[in-house]
Amino acid sequence: MTAPIPRDIPLPLPAPEGLLEILLIAVFLVHILFVHLMIGGSMFSLVCQIRGLKTPDYEKLAYRIMQTVTVNKSLAVVMGVAPLLIINTLYAPQFYASSALIGDMWMAVIPLVTLAFLLAYAHKFWWNHFLNIPELHIGIAALETVLFLVIPLIFMTNVNLMLFPEYWPKVTGFFSAMLLPNVLLRYLHFVSATVLFSSLFFVWWSGRKTFRVEVQFSELRVIDVRRFFYAFAFGATIFQILTGLMVFVSLPAQGMSWEFTVLLMLGGLVVLPAIWWMWQNLTRPGHLLDDNFKQILTCFACAAIVMGIARHDYRENALEDHKAAIAEKTINYQAAVKEASEEAQLAAIKAKETDIALPGATAFNQNCAACHHATLPTVGPALEEINAIYANDPAGIVAWTKSPGKKRPDSMKMPGFPQLSDAELMMISQYMLSH
Amino acid sequence: MDFPIFHIDFIGNRMLIAVDAILHVIINHALAVGALPVIALLELSGIRTKDPRWDRLAYRLLKVIFIITTTVGALTGVGIWFSASLINPAAIGSLIRVFFWGWFVEWIVFVAEVSLIMAYFLSWQSSGRTPEAKLKHLRLGIFLAIFSWITMAIIVAILGFMMDPGNWMSERTLISGVLNPMYFPQLAFRTTLAMVMGGMTMICLTYLFTRNDLPFRTTVLRAISSWSGIWMLALIIASVWYYQVIPQHMLANIPVAVTTQEYVSWNSSLKWLLTIGLSFVGWVLWSSIRHPGQVHGAKYLASVLLLFAMLGQFERVREFIRKPFIIGNYMYANGIRVEDYPLLQRDGILQHATYAGIREVTADNKVAAGREVFEQTCTRCHTVNGINSIRGQLKTMYGDKPWQPEVIAAYIENMHGARYFMPPFPGNKAELDALSVYLASQQKRATAFNGAQTNGIPIPDKISASTVYGTLPNLANPHGEQQ
Repeated sequence: MTAPIPRDIPLPLPAPEGLLEILLIAVFLVHILFVHLMIGGSMFSLVCQIRGLKTPDYEKLAYRIMQTVTVNKSLAVVMGVAPLLIINTLYAPQFYASSALIGDMWMAVIPLVTLAFLLAYAHKFWWNHFLNIPELHIGIAALETVLFLVIPLIFMTNVNLMLFPEYWPKVTGFFSAMLLPNVLLRYLHFVSATVLFSSLFFVWWSGRKTFRVEVQFSELRVIDVRRFFYAFAFGATIFQILTGLMVFVSLPAQGMSWEFTVLLMLGGLVVLPAIWWMWQNLTRPGHLLDDNFKQILTCFACAAIVMGIARHDYRENALEDHKAAIAEKTINYQAAVKEASEEAQLAAIKAKETDIALPGATAFNQNCAACHHATLPTVGPALEEINAIYANDPAGIVAWTKSPGKKRPDSMKMPGFPQLSDAELMMISQYMLSH
Repeated sequence: MDFPIFHIDFIGNRMLIAVDAILHVIINHALAVGALPVIALLELSGIRTKDPRWDRLAYRLLKVIFIITTTVGALTGVGIWFSASLINPAAIGSLIRVFFWGWFVEWIVFVAEVSLIMAYFLSWQSSGRTPEAKLKHLRLGIFLAIFSWITMAIIVAILGFMMDPGNWMSERTLISGVLNPMYFPQLAFRTTLAMVMGGMTMICLTYLFTRNDLPFRTTVLRAISSWSGIWMLALIIASVWYYQVIPQHMLANIPVAVTTQEYVSWNSSLKWLLTIGLSFVGWVLWSSIRHPGQVHGAKYLASVLLLFAMLGQFERVREFIRKPFIIGNYMYANGIRVEDYPLLQRDGILQHATYAGIREVTADNKVAAGREVFEQTCTRCHTVNGINSIRGQLKTMYGDKPWQPEVIAAYIENMHGARYFMPPFPGNKAELDALSVYLASQQKRATAFNGAQTNGIPIPDKISASTVYGTLPNLANPHGEQQ
């Protein structure tokens, strides 16, 4: 199927394209990190709260986790504004098209995020109000988590759809765009990244010196909680590699290249030492969870940066031809615009000549023609009718125009024209009667 | 033209943006710009008087501010981006190309604002331990108030620029937005209005939160009322200033005389609302300073609502004077650039619209082609059946008499002369006829109108998939072959 080729906005980019691309990759990574911590926090809080039904200490943990969500969710939103702005700038023809094609769900992001945030606040700020109705409290937490998980799927659908203009004509509404190749697999990859990054974050967070004082466990040991998060981090890493491979195999050919493949492999390789260290820390006696923690974090950070670059590389590959075609069409369209505008200017000069022959014509067209047609009664009466009433009486028309009233029951009242001088009104009236 | 047409026929595209934007600006002015200084003031009073009730009240008020601004407030701000890019992508895309760095700086200030409100609110409880920590915390609050004002000051520069048609064509920089003669009066008006709104909103909440401690209520209400009263005086001066500068400046920019009349009537409705609103709010504040315990809460609430209405009307007038353009003299409200008109009026808009399904009007396809023309040229502002519906407009004009396509066509052709806020019709004669046939067909049996989010887009034809135009050479690729 061929892709529709729109024209670009004919204004220069505000900065060199390369600079905008680097900015985009950087701010997007920061945004997505906080998104992971926000969603992961909500998920872990829910899980801990459910475990808290049996082991009350987990409920305390769930509350502490929600406190991180309050901060991370605000940073996720605010850090998302810059990538949105840059995507708007760099990919206007593609991004606006894909957004419109899933427009109702895209717009729904705003109320859905608002609702998720309000639920998160209700969940956290009213914690003690729910002590006797844990079902309701867990229900709120579950709804909040589900919303947090649905919203990225909408984003994923949009950023995937914008990559493939040749799919646009096939899409009717959000769900058909969501079922395009790769969206759901990429989403799975995203969710496992969420678990991975948030559990790593909570391993660090529960290892802070002040944590023990903050959380005030009665039975639970901090080390058990940390192992709980650590196990999730390890499992999610394995899952992340598997889903990553599936995404790679199923990616549409449009954006594939050797460079992209090498980047992905590099990103995967960087993680391998981290997996080895994590496995040792989890299974070998004598190893602590904090062993090599900085190195592990560095591995994941490097992998995230390489993947961020690869992701951008795929997008550029996929859209390369479309962008070139758009640029070409935009130049040609501008030439057509220029040609037509010169033609129109010549016609306007000719029209001016006839205007000198017919004084009042321009003024009539500007001020009166919308409501007074030559032969048809439009808003006001037709010229034919007016001419019959005011035959040889241009002064009558002038007088009426200076203080108009309402004669016909089914017409609107005519507005006055104080800005026109008597001479102009007279010229118009004479033109009307001569026409 | 260059984007699939998103359309919601019930509430209408304009109303979607309007609801989101008004909600955002009310929350921003009343709860961020105007209320945060009050919170810092209350915290300061708490430190000075060593009475913990001040601090507790300030924290409770801040909690409300925090919850609303970081949810509905922040998201409606993002929502303006979302809705604008769905409804008029050509316009917002053009503005972004020009104001990118303005918005980028605005984003950095916004990051600072959000970080500060989190730091201020979340460290409130722990900052009470030592007097030094408390003073540091108060300083956070003052910074926060300043940053939220700066966010507004930047956005007013962008808004002011969009209202100044002349400059868009010549110099497209943010500085010229700031130097715009309307910038300072508008900023002064918004700042003072926000301060009074913020003060009044905090008064309302205080009234609610102190219902069990009436002596304290009296003290606090007097303090906030005095603070708001000072801003009220400034607001009166700013309104007069605004009123002396803006109308003249705007009137100088309005080309059509009928526009002037309409503008004057809009502006005088704002003037009346301002006069009545300011007198009422001023009176409430005055009685609240003199006898703070005796003013009923309903009067405070009415004041807040009046202030919201004043802000809403102010925004409507500001939006109104932009028409028929969305970007002064550059792009009409229908998303079509002024410079494209000659081409579109000569060849027809359907010939050049990337996502149109019909290219030529024939005797058999008039209703269907007219629907496409309607979609391309009218739907940014009008619906078929919803708010600002075209059926409603035609009914006002022609009532229950049969709607005649020729009459409708004759009207639309010259409509921009009498209805200055309407852009000229951008298509050719055949398309005008088709549009009129389509509109007339909607009198008895209106067909449901869905946008691209439901219908999708047509399979690309030769025009949509090609990069060259008619007999024109391919300028982008002078050595290449023509398609």
